[in-house]
Amino acid sequence: MVQAGSKKSQITRINSKTGINSLIIFVVLLLAWIAGFSSRLFAVIRFESIIHEFDPWFNYRATAYMVKHGFYNFLNWFDERAWYPLGRIVGGTVYPGLMITSGSIHYVLHLLNINVHIRDICVFLAPIFSGLTAISTYFLTKELWSAGAGLFAACFIAIVPGYISRSVAGSYDNEGIAIFALQFTYFLWIKSVKTGSVFWAVAAALSYFYMVSAWGGYVFIINLIPLHVFVLLLMGRFSNRLFTSYTTFYILGLICSMQIPFVGFQPIRTSEHMAASGVFALLFAVATLKYLQSILSKSEFKSLVIFGGLVSAGIVFLTVVGLTYAGYVAPWSGRFYSLWDTGYAKIHIPIIASVSEHQPTTWFSFFFDLHILVATFPAGLWYCIKNVNDERVFVILYALSAVYFAGVMVRLMLTLTPVVCILSGVAFSGLLELFLREDDTPRNEDSEDEDQSPPNSRRLYDKAVAGRVPKMKHEQNKESDGIGPNIRSIVTVVIMLLLMLFAVHCTWVTSNAYSSPSIVLASYSSDGSRQILDDFREAYFWLSQNTADDARVMSWWDYGYQIAGMANRTTLVDNNTWNNSHIALVGKAMSSNETAAYEIMTALDVDYVLVIFGGVIGYSGDDINKFLWMVRIAEGEHPKDIRESDYFTEHGEFRVDAEGAPTLLNSLMYKLSYYRFGELKLDYRTPAGFDRTRNAVIGNKDFQLTYLEEAYTTEHWLVRIYRVKKPDEFNRPRIPVANRVVKSQNFVSKKSSKRKKGTIKNKPVIVKGKRLSTKQV
Amino acid sequence: MRTLILSLFVISSVFFYHVDGQARKQGLTLAERVQQLTDMSNKKAVLRFNGNKFREFVKAAPRSYSVIVMFTAMAAQRQCVVCRHASDEFTIVANSFRYSQGYSNKLFFAVVDFDEGSDVFQMLRINTAPVFMHFPPKGKPKNADTMDISRIGFSAEAIAKWIAERTDIQIRVFRPPNYSGTLALVVLFAFVAGFLYLRRNNLDFLYNKSMWGMGSLFFCFAMVSGQMWNHIRGPPFVHKSQSGQIMYVHGSSQGQFVVETYIVMVLNGAVVLGMILLTEAARGKGDPKKRKILAVVGLILLSVFFSLLLSIFRSKTQGYPYSFLFK
Repeated sequence: MVQAGSKKSQITRINSKTGINSLIIFVVLLLAWIAGFSSRLFAVIRFESIIHEFDPWFNYRATAYMVKHGFYNFLNWFDERAWYPLGRIVGGTVYPGLMITSGSIHYVLHLLNINVHIRDICVFLAPIFSGLTAISTYFLTKELWSAGAGLFAACFIAIVPGYISRSVAGSYDNEGIAIFALQFTYFLWIKSVKTGSVFWAVAAALSYFYMVSAWGGYVFIINLIPLHVFVLLLMGRFSNRLFTSYTTFYILGLICSMQIPFVGFQPIRTSEHMAASGVFALLFAVATLKYLQSILSKSEFKSLVIFGGLVSAGIVFLTVVGLTYAGYVAPWSGRFYSLWDTGYAKIHIPIIASVSEHQPTTWFSFFFDLHILVATFPAGLWYCIKNVNDERVFVILYALSAVYFAGVMVRLMLTLTPVVCILSGVAFSGLLELFLREDDTPRNEDSEDEDQSPPNSRRLYDKAVAGRVPKMKHEQNKESDGIGPNIRSIVTVVIMLLLMLFAVHCTWVTSNAYSSPSIVLASYSSDGSRQILDDFREAYFWLSQNTADDARVMSWWDYGYQIAGMANRTTLVDNNTWNNSHIALVGKAMSSNETAAYEIMTALDVDYVLVIFGGVIGYSGDDINKFLWMVRIAEGEHPKDIRESDYFTEHGEFRVDAEGAPTLLNSLMYKLSYYRFGELKLDYRTPAGFDRTRNAVIGNKDFQLTYLEEAYTTEHWLVRIYRVKKPDEFNRPRIPVANRVVKSQNFVSKKSSKRKKGTIKNKPVIVKGKRLSTKQV
Repeated sequence: MRTLILSLFVISSVFFYHVDGQARKQGLTLAERVQQLTDMSNKKAVLRFNGNKFREFVKAAPRSYSVIVMFTAMAAQRQCVVCRHASDEFTIVANSFRYSQGYSNKLFFAVVDFDEGSDVFQMLRINTAPVFMHFPPKGKPKNADTMDISRIGFSAEAIAKWIAERTDIQIRVFRPPNYSGTLALVVLFAFVAGFLYLRRNNLDFLYNKSMWGMGSLFFCFAMVSGQMWNHIRGPPFVHKSQSGQIMYVHGSSQGQFVVETYIVMVLNGAVVLGMILLTEAARGKGDPKKRKILAVVGLILLSVFFSLLLSIFRSKTQGYPYSFLFK
């Protein structure tokens, strides 16, 4: 559109045209923002304005703390309520960008006397940032291709499920703001490569700084940009613009990123960041060579390049290897390593492998999250390669690396989504531009632009198609040169239909898959009425009201953040899985029998144990289904005590009914989940003790708890809380004589044949000058 | 020294075969047996037992050692492909133990081949191969002393873990480094370098954008169709149900078959081809008729194959309401 407008000769026409162009761009971006915002509100409308899932609860708690106590106290915050008895230095172990963002919004709003609770800011932060993401995607695509493609890309990313999955209202997590920072950094970087100006490079570095403060995924940027530079060098596209922008960006970005306490010295000490500095050195070497080339003769230069190149490459390589061996440069961390060696995590780090986000991706997930974009973005990639230039090299590399990472880990679908939107935008706009432009006649030049933009704002598909079809028919009788108006209109209609399908797919997926807060569950009965299961909050509220303020609650790590956030109680392990051995200890307690577990629980000062049990309502994400991971993680640290094979039947099955392995049926987790469940008859078709999640009658029905007592069970038995008895409370079982601290002495009569005289037990011994005391036995 | 031991062993075994039934019942003492086993395993980490030796060393009553026995059928006419893999892994474990710090005479590795000791197979009622069994120092092997291959597989790590469970002896598996991957890479690089060297005067093909484009597109299709998932999870190629029907598409959204991913790859490719054909048809300056045909072909590719993709997707999703052209 912009290109079409630039050729006009009359100034007035140009003015009116640019005016209309910018109006269209403005309107489309605004609509994209509104559509993106509102399609993220399903959860808020269906339930209420609450924080979702697990990690967001920690972020929310930290934000609330920062708002209450101020930024510096937040940086110094030592949270003694997490990881009991270790505690956690929160200020030094979080990416503070998210908290600072919502904290400053809160601050500004309160300066303006708009009283908004910090919770509402946290809930709506991600949807608001999705609009900013759409705008920065527009700018990025505009730099890469054209404004039309930019509008397409902006509309795509506003509603694409791959991004919505991490940014629905209430999902208050780093990714929500990080994708915006990612796209914006890339936009500024492209801008600085194109212009070679220090200004844009500095802006890119600052945006990178924001990204570093917001998300650990910044590593992707600091590897992708050097890769871009490196490939440009390989292609012989070195330029002074590139030199200026990269050196400025790298140095400033490095210094800035080291200001984040959690990142600290990592940028100069870990392997993940070494590529950036290597490219930095390489860029200088190439620049020096270019300079020498201009002053030396050809033969001199050739020998210099060969000799100097080999020597310097060897030196650099040896230095890096030496530093790594000496321990100055840390090798790759497990999470990153598992991206390359795809079998690594499964064997070595069960705690990474246990998280469902770290699984590889099926084609189904790709299609589910991206729908038509997944099938069309290669076309955009094709045209980028065909018409390659400096900045398109970037988007090609972005696409290829992101698609690899997304294949390895479901979670990294998030970094793939923006580039897929960009490239699909390129493909669709390239297509529609051609199919709509050829009707271009002097008569309706302006209306052509209008024609072209409604497909961009696909969310108005009803209107777009309604307005589209008559016009095409109306234009059919015009003469045409190329492929004819019939085919052209059919193609346009088909593409419209496909884009409509995309829009409804996005809405369906958002509504059905990504809008569950997962702390409030909904079930639908046969007549379509909805039943809200609010057991989690019920249990957490019970904890906060009925237990001592310093009570320690043991649960599996998934629920740590929620207990801390909602019940405000001390937890042993939580979703920040930094200490594997501590988690393994909890896993060991859960998978041992009651006696062994009691020893661990006393050692850890546990007051309450919380388990999630879905057998009554058929909730599949409960602790029994996660139980094997507890066993595996415990086995990793305590291979002598816990063995995974003990929890399987002889046929290698994991079952909870009477045929289940005895170790499983006597484990603490089993007992806590099924305590009193054997008496419960859910309906008259199934026997008592029928577990709806696993469709089996439980195998160990009739048992009593010795060391724990049931403290609270929620309405649908979803959360069960047990109190750990103190040693004096339970009827203690007989301790074998050998283990007794105070040994009972079997009375042996001392009246042997030698000493017939009787003795008095505990006879006072009188020593002269001392007080009377009884003899100690 | 080695020959001495060997000859001693030969003499002893010869002696052993010549003594009468009385002496055979008596057998060797515990110390002698341990000594023999140690000597044998010093020579070769995995001992080869026939029926007699098996009874002598594994079945004899007082034992101070565990024996891990692999029952196998390595002979070519048995056509047991799995046995060969199992044997390799088993040897890796045995060698790792043999050359580790914790090497002791508490654990021995042995193998009984069906063709050498079929009586042992009958005695233990084994009718499959390979089977891994642990014979503890005391008592008879329990159920758990037979390794469950179907569940945990027989990789060296799994065997080592299972041994650690049964005997409390930790073996750190040390695989002889596998150079084949590195070698293949080196060969590939050499090929590329040689090719570039031969064509050094004519390097234009490096600037062939179509080639690079095809490569990148292929990579994208491979990733997007879940080849990485196949690589990590190793799903079956197709699924044959019990009634003999062949399923090409996995029924649930959690899994996929190899064939399914190829189908998806082709469908994706066809959609992209359709998009490109459409664009080229509209852009080109050639014969209008040809362009019309191109456009129609592109349109059909785009719509038909995308609807096919959508219907496969729909068959895997429960309650997905939308479809295009086909149900």
